[in-house]
Order: sequence, then C-alpha cells, then structure tokens
Amino acid sequence: MLAHLTAISHQVDGGTGVSLLQRGLLSVLAPLQSGVGVTLGGAAELWRGWAFHRETYADNRRLRERVRALETELQLSAFEAQEAVRLRELLALQQTLPLDTLAAQVVGRDGVPWFRSLMLDKGEQDGVRLDAAVISATGVVGRVIAVGPRAARVQVLLDRDSGSAAIVERSRVSGVVSGQVSGPDAGSEDLQLKYVSERADVAVGDVVVTSGLDRIYPKGLAIGRVRFVGEATGLFREIRVEPSARFERLEKVLVVRQLPAPLETTRSVE
Amino acid sequence: MSRALWTALALAGAVLVETALAHLVASPGRYLDPFLLVVVYCAVVFGETHGMLAGAAAGWVQDAIFGGRVLGLSGLTKLLVGFAVGIVAGRFLIATPAARALVVLLATLADALLLRWLASVFSIEALWLPPLALATRATLSALAGGLLFALVDRRLSRSLP
Repeated sequence: MLAHLTAISHQVDGGTGVSLLQRGLLSVLAPLQSGVGVTLGGAAELWRGWAFHRETYADNRRLRERVRALETELQLSAFEAQEAVRLRELLALQQTLPLDTLAAQVVGRDGVPWFRSLMLDKGEQDGVRLDAAVISATGVVGRVIAVGPRAARVQVLLDRDSGSAAIVERSRVSGVVSGQVSGPDAGSEDLQLKYVSERADVAVGDVVVTSGLDRIYPKGLAIGRVRFVGEATGLFREIRVEPSARFERLEKVLVVRQLPAPLETTRSVE
Repeated sequence: MSRALWTALALAGAVLVETALAHLVASPGRYLDPFLLVVVYCAVVFGETHGMLAGAAAGWVQDAIFGGRVLGLSGLTKLLVGFAVGIVAGRFLIATPAARALVVLLATLADALLLRWLASVFSIEALWLPPLALATRATLSALAGGLLFALVDRRLSRSLP
C-alpha cells in the first residue's frame, strides 16, 4: 500500500512543480531537521559556553592568586620602602653628625605606665655605655640608663624623671628640659622647659636644642618647639615644648658611643 | 615540674606578651600587666609564700626590662600584693573565674597605689595614670586574668589523672 501511494504521488504534481511526495517529505522532515539543528546548535553553544566558563573560572582563580601574590609583594615593597626611608634619614643623620654613633633597633617599650623607657637590641658588646645619648632622625630620644651585654634600656625624654640641658636657638636662653607635663590622656605629650626667667625672650614656635652642658647630650641636637609660654609664676615662666622626636613611632635610633671628655678642673693659683 | 620552674616559665611568657603588645599598641603597660596576672595566680593557687616570691621575681624582671631609673619599686609592690592575695586566698574561696577576676582588679589597683606611695617616699618622679585610665587598666587586666586562669585550670585538670 505504501509502495502504491509512493508511486502515485510521485506522478502527481502538487501545482508548484514539486511532486506531492517531495512536498510531503519536505514538510515532515524540515521541522525535524530544523529542530535537530536548533538542538544541536544549542548544545554546541552550551558546550562552548561551559568550556569557556571552565576556562574563565580557571583564569579567574589564577588571576585571584596572582592578585593576592602581588598584593603581598606590594605590602612588602611598601614596608621595605618605608624602612629604606627611615634608614636613609638615619644614615643622613649619622653622616652629618660629628659623633661616633651606632644604629640600634627598638625591641620593647613602655612596659609599665609610670615610666617611659625603650629597650634596644645593642649593648655593652656593641659599644653602648651607660648615660650614652640616644637620638633619632628628628630629635633627641633619651639616654641609656641600664646596659647589658646585648641590650640597653633607654630613659625617654618624656619620662618625668629625665632631664636635659637646653637652649632656645633664637634667643640663646638656657634652661632644663624635663619629662612629660601630662599623660597621653591629656591629648599631648609635651615636655617642660624649666628654670627660664620671667624676663627671658621665649616665644611660641621657638626651636629648643640641647646645650651640651649636662655632659650627656651633644650640643645642638633638636629637642622640640615651644608650644606654650605661660605667665610667670614666681621667678620662672611655665614653658611647654612639643618634642620633635616621634616617640610612638620609633623603630631605629642612633646611640652616641663617644662620651664627652671629662671636665678638667682648673688648678688653684698657688 | 616544680612550681618554681612553672613560675619562671610564666614570667618568661609575660615578658613575651608585653614585648609583643608593644608592637601592636603604644604604651602597652597602660592597658595590661601580664606580670601581675602571674603573681595573682601563684598567690591564689600556691599560697602567700609562693605568691610573695613570685611577686618579687616578677617585679624585678619588670623593673629590669621595662622600669625606670630606680630598680626594685615594682619588685616591692608585687611582693606585697602577692603576699596579700595569698593571705586572702587562704581565708576565702577564690575558685570561680569571676572571683579571680575581681582579685586581679583589686590587685591591679593596689599595685598602682602602692607604687605611687613608694615613689613619693623615695622622691622618684613618675607619670601617674588618671583614675579612668587606671580603672580601664584594672578592668582589662581582670578580664584577661579571669579568662587566662580558667584556661590554665582547664588545661591542668585535663593533664591530671
């Protein structure tokens, strides 16, 4: 029966020059083909997408790892750059100072709130002596109050029990700079410039430097700037000095190894 | 291991903690006194004699590494605090973390006041914490102490048969 129908339809013209058989086959198969084509195309697209996605995912992972590695490298570079800046400052100071100095690392600080001290990683074996002055690139830090073979403890200038002979650079008025006026809670860590006469010429902004008279700190090192000049109370004025050393950020300091020559006493006239 | 060796190890740990804290915050001594925690624990657990000895050792170590120009101030104050805490621990039951934290709080305040008094007796200039800062230090030490003592006790009870 099928053979008959095939043969007959082969001979019958559908009116468009195409046989009915051909038209029938086309009309049945075309959607099927189209469907298969669309499905295969979609699957291929899906496959390509999945492959692309896999590749992208792998790329993404690789790039994320690279970013992490680069971020770490960047942090290390930034740290090394900061370290280099600090060392350059210290080296510049070491070269300009006419003193025998030794670079030391700060390894501990302010373990008790009552005293202000630093621990250095250099000691007697490195040439650090008791009472040696300790300075930073920005100013005077303090003096060595205890020394061991490989470590030294420094009394910071902020300590209430510390002191340094000082002079106002502009007017050459001399006095004694001593410890902190108030704690960090007061918002500032100022030093006091004591024993300055009420008539002395001192103004806010004046630079205060070491005078060298205490025979501990070499002459001419920066201590700080005058922040406040009060009214005279009795013989002396209340003067506060903002220290130039950045105590809270100290990492490397210079220890002066060369102690001042002992004072020669004048022989009395016979 | 003997008590003395444990105490020495604990003091070494306190030095490490204090040094490590100095890298994280400025003036770590304003917030915590790890040496006092060792003293209080020794006094509470082992009694007044050991507390007193641990206090003297802790204070001298603290003075030698972090103190000022005069050595021995913290040694004396911590000796007295260790003794007092040991006496109190012999008469009262100080076993819960809260009770021990309270003891640390009071010991921190007593240590600061004793040091202030001793410094004035010997005419030593020192920087005193304002009341709020002192209270903060005592509270933080108490919290750290309560937590640390509980951890140490748990660890010891596990190691015991």
